[in-house]
Amino acid sequence: MLLFMLLNVCTVGGSYFTQIELNMMTKSSDVVKNDIKNNLNPFNIFKTHKTSPLTLGLYSWNFGGGVQSYFLFLKFLVILNFVSFLLIGGFVLIPSIVFNSLGEPPKLESSGNCTIYEPNPQGLVVFYEYFLHLLSGTGFIEYSYMFYGYYDNTVVEDSSFSYNIPVAYLSTAVFYFAFCEYLLISRMGKATRVAVTTGGSDVSNYSLIVFTGWDFGCLGGKATKLKQRNIYYRLQVDLEEERLKKHAASLTMCKKVTLYSLRVLSFFVALGLVAAACYSIFEATKFSQDNSDKEGILGLIYEYLPSIVITAGNFLVPLLCDQLALLEKYSPSSTVIVALLRAVILRLASLCILLFTLWDQITCKGNQNDDECNECHYNYQEYPCWETRVGQEMYKLTLFDLLVNIALLVLVEFPRRMVVDNTSCKLSQWVGRQEFVVPSNVLGLVYGQTVVWTGALFCPLLPLLNTAKFVILFYCKKITLFYNCRPALRTFRSTSSSFFFLAVLLFGWIIALVVMIYSVAVMHPSQACGPFRSFDNMWQIVPNSTYYLPDVTKEFIFFIGSQAFSVPLSALSCVVMCYVIALASIHGRSVVMLKAQLKLVCLSFFFIYNQMFNSFSCLMQPICYP
Amino acid sequence: MGNKQTIFTAQQLDAYQVGYGSHFLLFYRYRDLAPQLVPLDYTNQPDVKLPYELIGSMPELKDNPFRQRIAEVFSEDGEGNMTLDDFLDMFSVLSEMAPRDLKAYYAFKIYDFNNDDFICKSDLEKTLNKLTRNELTEDEVKMVCEKVIDEADLDNDGRLSLEDFQNMINRAPDFLSTFHIRI
Repeated sequence: MLLFMLLNVCTVGGSYFTQIELNMMTKSSDVVKNDIKNNLNPFNIFKTHKTSPLTLGLYSWNFGGGVQSYFLFLKFLVILNFVSFLLIGGFVLIPSIVFNSLGEPPKLESSGNCTIYEPNPQGLVVFYEYFLHLLSGTGFIEYSYMFYGYYDNTVVEDSSFSYNIPVAYLSTAVFYFAFCEYLLISRMGKATRVAVTTGGSDVSNYSLIVFTGWDFGCLGGKATKLKQRNIYYRLQVDLEEERLKKHAASLTMCKKVTLYSLRVLSFFVALGLVAAACYSIFEATKFSQDNSDKEGILGLIYEYLPSIVITAGNFLVPLLCDQLALLEKYSPSSTVIVALLRAVILRLASLCILLFTLWDQITCKGNQNDDECNECHYNYQEYPCWETRVGQEMYKLTLFDLLVNIALLVLVEFPRRMVVDNTSCKLSQWVGRQEFVVPSNVLGLVYGQTVVWTGALFCPLLPLLNTAKFVILFYCKKITLFYNCRPALRTFRSTSSSFFFLAVLLFGWIIALVVMIYSVAVMHPSQACGPFRSFDNMWQIVPNSTYYLPDVTKEFIFFIGSQAFSVPLSALSCVVMCYVIALASIHGRSVVMLKAQLKLVCLSFFFIYNQMFNSFSCLMQPICYP
Repeated sequence: MGNKQTIFTAQQLDAYQVGYGSHFLLFYRYRDLAPQLVPLDYTNQPDVKLPYELIGSMPELKDNPFRQRIAEVFSEDGEGNMTLDDFLDMFSVLSEMAPRDLKAYYAFKIYDFNNDDFICKSDLEKTLNKLTRNELTEDEVKMVCEKVIDEADLDNDGRLSLEDFQNMINRAPDFLSTFHIRI
């Protein structure tokens, strides 16, 4: 009876502190496939899921080989993009379509200093050129709802209804950013909460692997062998970390110095590689912008040159850095983290360099007194409608990313699998089937989403394009996972990965926000196209519109913008932040204390139970030695 | 599917908790292993034992490195020769309906190779070797065993008792799904 009560206490206590870390590769691949098929169809987003601990664990998506968490992340991004598109469509696209069809379609000026813009190709257009235009965002697509340039500064004012397209455009963009930030932060909050409640993940690694690592439902000789190898590698990784720790502790001073200097050197080499990649992107972008008027296939290649160079850099530089990592001799989990950090910095830096080069070209290096930028405050000769041009670059990046993924699937992964399965030479067996590498795939998603955020102001339909892209990507990756990939043998443990990837996504969001704020507040909008053609900067529409508001609202808005409000507000938010931080640290500490207490309670109960059992069994016997 | 009513009596049906319908499925699986030994009519509780070799040849168990231990734990004679009762017990514990504590209890018995109600170092070594197909070196095996006992042994006697084992299992969220055979 006591044992029963005790078991219940320990079960309840244990499950409260259950580690929600799931290593998806412990499940047999059939189970994972079934789970993915049943749960992760992106159009099942409205299906409610049973909240078993297993599902909760999935949705808190701690990594550790989390193929399933990759697909969940992809699903989250699909929903994000689709809702953003609904926002943009409802407030900007549909009113524009309605007003254009009711009134007059937007007209382009054909005279004036800075107001001539001719996007449509003159003369006959060969049929295949439509396809080239679709891929490069020029031609018939350039002057369409896809890009900023087509939207007009329509202001409709009726007796009962008024709609200001420029204000709508700007506020939709702002609200879109705020909405994405809210979703991101709430998801990060969930991940943090899980990390705080479960505490460290390194408790009882080994015993969990040994006693619960084996999947009894594993069928077939092949799956069994795979499972055994998987367990072997997991134990190896943990043992390797132990060995490295012992080794690091036992190094002599001289060896330590050599190791650290080697690490510093490889850090600089990695930095040099990233800088080299950035420089080549800079040169490629300049070359592409200078040769943007070429026609045909060659013109298309020149258009895509920045994307090609970025993709090549994102492929080569991590490969070289992996070789560097062999010198550095970090422990396996640190190696993974360092490689991830380098990949992230490379991707975000390449995007930043692209944007910087564009800015450089558009604003003549920020020097308004330069010959080319004197008249129109931007390089009118090269960029009569510079927002469309920036939007086109982002459009091309997104499209190229999708094309590269599909091309890889068709041209690399399927043939690889066919070669490996059908030939029996040693080389093909050594190369083996593709492994689904989760971190680099997730980084690709983060990068794609950052590009979309950056380009959304200039290409309003980009979220819709991205939704379609991610849905296609979902099915492509699902196909490649089931048919071409073998389950990863090496699964590295990294419980903070989920938080890390969300943090990187947030950082990408910040970059996109900086770009948006700069474009809205500082850059001079094109005078030849777009809803802001008559303003000095996009933000100016807001003060202009507030003049038409009633007095009370005006006073209120001016008050919010003034220092009398913002200083107390920032002081208050500092106080709230300190309070929340203190609360979080207290909760963390209480979790640790409660765990220790639980252990103590269990121990004392076992002790009492043993004593009682011994005394009872003693009483049953004629002679008793308690 | 034959005359179901004459296979089991009502009390027998109550005793088997596998779940209505699935014990018929299990009975037919049991019978398929040796049709000439197992009669169709179980109302007289015939004394039929299938040898371990037949049980171990089932597709669900044949590749499992622990199949011998599973059969030994659930068989009455401890040798792996199972009656229908033992067979049904085995699959009911390994089904998804068995409670966590019951599964933990039997998992403990499976990993306890020398049947002394404790998982000692030698039991752990045998478990590890079965898990990794003897690919770990001796030093590695020793290190892992030490680590496991460090982590899970609460009463500090150098071996794992049932309570230690259950306490540790409670922290594994996927134990219920891994200790599960679908039939």
